[in-house]
Amino acid sequence: MYELLAAGIVNVVQVKYLLPLFLGTLAGVIGGALPGVTITMTIIVVLPFTFSLDPLQGLAAMTGVYVGGSAGGLVTAVLLGIPGSPSAIATTFDGHALARRGEPGRAVWLGIWASFFGGLLGGIVLIAATGPLAAIALQFGPWEFFSLFVLALSMVAGLAESSLLKGLVSGCLGLIVTVLGTDPVMGQDRLTLGIPFVRGGIDFLPVLIGVFAFSQVMGEIERRGGAAPIAEAGARTLRLAVSHSKVIWEIVSRPFQLMWYALVGVLIGVLPAIGGSAASMMAYDQAKKISPRPEAFGKGAPEGIIASEASNNANVGGSLVTIMAFGIPGDAVTAVMLGALTIHGIQSGPLFISQNAQLAYGIFAAYLLAHPLMVLILAVGARWMLRVVTVPKAALFPVVLVLCAIGAYALNNTMSNVYVLLAFGVLGYAMAKLGFPLAPFILGVILGDQIEINLVRSLMTDSNLWLFVTRPISALLLAMAVASIVLSIWQHRRMQEKAAAAEGAADF
Amino acid sequence: MKLSKDGWGGLAVLAASFALFSLTFELKPNPLVPIGPGFYPRAVLALTALFAAALVTLDLLRAKAERSPGPAANYAAVALHFAVFGLYVAALPWIGFRIATFAYVAATNALMDRPQAARGWLRVALVALATVLVTYFAFERYLLVLLPRGRWTDF
Repeated sequence: MYELLAAGIVNVVQVKYLLPLFLGTLAGVIGGALPGVTITMTIIVVLPFTFSLDPLQGLAAMTGVYVGGSAGGLVTAVLLGIPGSPSAIATTFDGHALARRGEPGRAVWLGIWASFFGGLLGGIVLIAATGPLAAIALQFGPWEFFSLFVLALSMVAGLAESSLLKGLVSGCLGLIVTVLGTDPVMGQDRLTLGIPFVRGGIDFLPVLIGVFAFSQVMGEIERRGGAAPIAEAGARTLRLAVSHSKVIWEIVSRPFQLMWYALVGVLIGVLPAIGGSAASMMAYDQAKKISPRPEAFGKGAPEGIIASEASNNANVGGSLVTIMAFGIPGDAVTAVMLGALTIHGIQSGPLFISQNAQLAYGIFAAYLLAHPLMVLILAVGARWMLRVVTVPKAALFPVVLVLCAIGAYALNNTMSNVYVLLAFGVLGYAMAKLGFPLAPFILGVILGDQIEINLVRSLMTDSNLWLFVTRPISALLLAMAVASIVLSIWQHRRMQEKAAAAEGAADF
Repeated sequence: MKLSKDGWGGLAVLAASFALFSLTFELKPNPLVPIGPGFYPRAVLALTALFAAALVTLDLLRAKAERSPGPAANYAAVALHFAVFGLYVAALPWIGFRIATFAYVAATNALMDRPQAARGWLRVALVALATVLVTYFAFERYLLVLLPRGRWTDF
């Protein structure tokens, strides 16, 4: 493993890989810093640029976006009090307070170095856990794979904030997209709706790009129009100089807390569709609970910044574990990465790491190297980030949508994918307006074919349905799926009771 | 009883599931395999219909709380921007990437932030031109990704 990792690092430090990694990290940092522009939108914009690159170049660029984007939001969160990305919300609580107390440099650098160390700890888990997990998955038959995919879908649906039922409906809608076109077992046409280009099935990338890009861009247009800049750039004259050794010591002198925050991030990352914002909020909450001075939180406590940022970047490592070991994307960003793999004809899943060891360890190396690059970019450009946020959306959004159209068109040089992009853009916006979560929908689109193939394969091998619950691993996975749904119902009820109790208390 | 947006969403999904389910009866079983092409779509559509029906039922049973009106959403702007993007998509195969993109970026930019003077229009034109030049050279010349050609313009 270590030889392969060393070879991966030697490979990625070549200019042809380092340059896309650097540019991806830069794009991620900028995208992360722009309020209203998410990492998903940034990676969608970067995607078409990777089509003509070799797989490792493209995935290095995307890994850079993911790592850079996870840290990029902290600069505006700390200096302006406006989180660039949802995952930087918890950083705002103490980061901005510390900056307002006259220590902006310390606040920014605590965040940057915490992201760096948290991300590297997440990387250790990524490298150590992916191989063994993939080896376990190699023992799976179609029954286990079917149950695993059902578990992933039920978890994502159950974790949807709005309601479990809406999450389940959304996941089913994603599965419906995959039944249109061709039967994956015998290649027979089905449910083509009379549309010629649906005969070959619908590519998931234009669906993903359409759903996420349009729901975000149109959501912003609906709320604020485009005339206003993303944020007013204040604080341009701030001095961010700081003693790095002191800041680093402030972080590493609490090794157990740092590891705990990183672990929270990794675990949240492994669970599908929860995301960096939940990871940073949970770690922040943990930091407050274990701190001897919880009253200092919200007033510029360094532990608050460290917890939020360390957990947020470790989350990236966790998300990459599931996609590399099982081929299940943990979030929209890794879903786009999965799409990039597919474009290059690489099959993700348990065999990925053994069949593409050079690429897999190249991704690990890119992940590790993206962290020092992220620190370098933020060291040079933190002040510039404040200028970037003054870009008017009127100029930014049409460019984003043009890049989405290019990304869809370039998949196979036909307009059909651009039509799919537009159709699913409308659907994605409508779903967002009706409160249907988008993550289960996308996971349904991605896993639909695999669910069908494994279900049909298992039934063709043996028509006994009891095998799904008598084979131990399959039974365990299905039990976990049921448990996740029951837990979600229980949590939802508890929240409703709390809300009702709060309302009752307010009445008196 | 009045439906909320959950109920309307559920109804729309229910209707779509029934419509697609009826289409699955046209699928002929394959004599080579015991499970035909309609098996899985029917299972998925039945499950979807079940969840959608549950969503509608729960919505009907739930007592609706009076909601305070949130900030007004500008749906007209959203419809307009979807329409402009639709026109862009329709125009791409006829007038090609470069002209269509210039027109789209300029139009969207002007709609989002209406220029007040000649300087504003110049800014709109420059942003559109820069977008076309950068994307065209980056994709076609450097990354060798082909962009749509226009049937009328031949470029």
